[in-house]
Amino acid sequence: MSDSRPIPSLLYFAAAFGAGGLLSLMVLFNGTLAIYGSLLFASWVPHLTGTLLAIAILLVLRPRRASTFRPPLWAYLGGIAGGVTVMLTSATMNTALALSGTIALGLAGQVLFSLFADMRGLFGLPQRMPKPRDYLALALIIAGSLVLIFLGGAP
Amino acid sequence: MIGFAALALLAGVLVSLSRQVNGRLALSTSAWESSFWNHIVGLGFVTLAAVLFGGLFAGAPMEAPWWAYLGGPVGVVFIAAGSWLIARIGAAQTALLIIAGQMISGVVLDVLMGTAGNTWARIIGIVLILAGMWVSRSAKD
Repeated sequence: MSDSRPIPSLLYFAAAFGAGGLLSLMVLFNGTLAIYGSLLFASWVPHLTGTLLAIAILLVLRPRRASTFRPPLWAYLGGIAGGVTVMLTSATMNTALALSGTIALGLAGQVLFSLFADMRGLFGLPQRMPKPRDYLALALIIAGSLVLIFLGGAP
Repeated sequence: MIGFAALALLAGVLVSLSRQVNGRLALSTSAWESSFWNHIVGLGFVTLAAVLFGGLFAGAPMEAPWWAYLGGPVGVVFIAAGSWLIARIGAAQTALLIIAGQMISGVVLDVLMGTAGNTWARIIGIVLILAGMWVSRSAKD
């Protein structure tokens, strides 16, 4: 519970930016799979191979549990929200929204709900209030994203 | 149309919701364990959908290039990273930086693969995103 937070260290910064790069690769790989197989297949296969790799990682690294208290049961259900997301986006991609509209509205939903969650400290995560600087960063990154989504394609 | 727009917006909300719930699980367990649960619960959910709707193996999935099958392993690292970050830098900061990385690497991938695109829009978009990241990093409040 604090509204003053330190500037994120360069490590967090690089990790989040790198995770965005991984997401691009996932979209490319899973999207290519969906060209040859069904949309369900393109979601089922990565969940299956991902589960297998995650089991291997847990067996090799044996990460220690951060707390001896059991997490609430709902904390195990994040994967369902991910599964529903795949279905929603596959449904809207084929409407007048197209891929660009689907991505742009998805970004908006993501950012607005993240801000709301931070301010309220939802789901037992630390509460934090965005500063003016954060809103400026947000506006610039979203503006750049919209330029790429709507104007970056072939003329 | 408005209905579909609401669904696309909801999809974005769910991306954020999923990352928060996974992040909460990682607070009690670990980022890797939260990625494991995300995948196995998601697998159960998608399998159920496949049983209900059918058509899982429709098309010619075996003709896809081998690298198209690598999305799962990449996803394990991606989900673990998100779960780890969200408790440390917050949901909004995590989302924004992931979006920045996705957009810029998307342009890099497009250029590498020779996908046609508007060069000026790509440059302006990347400059705006980099400026946003710079503002986010600058020490002054």
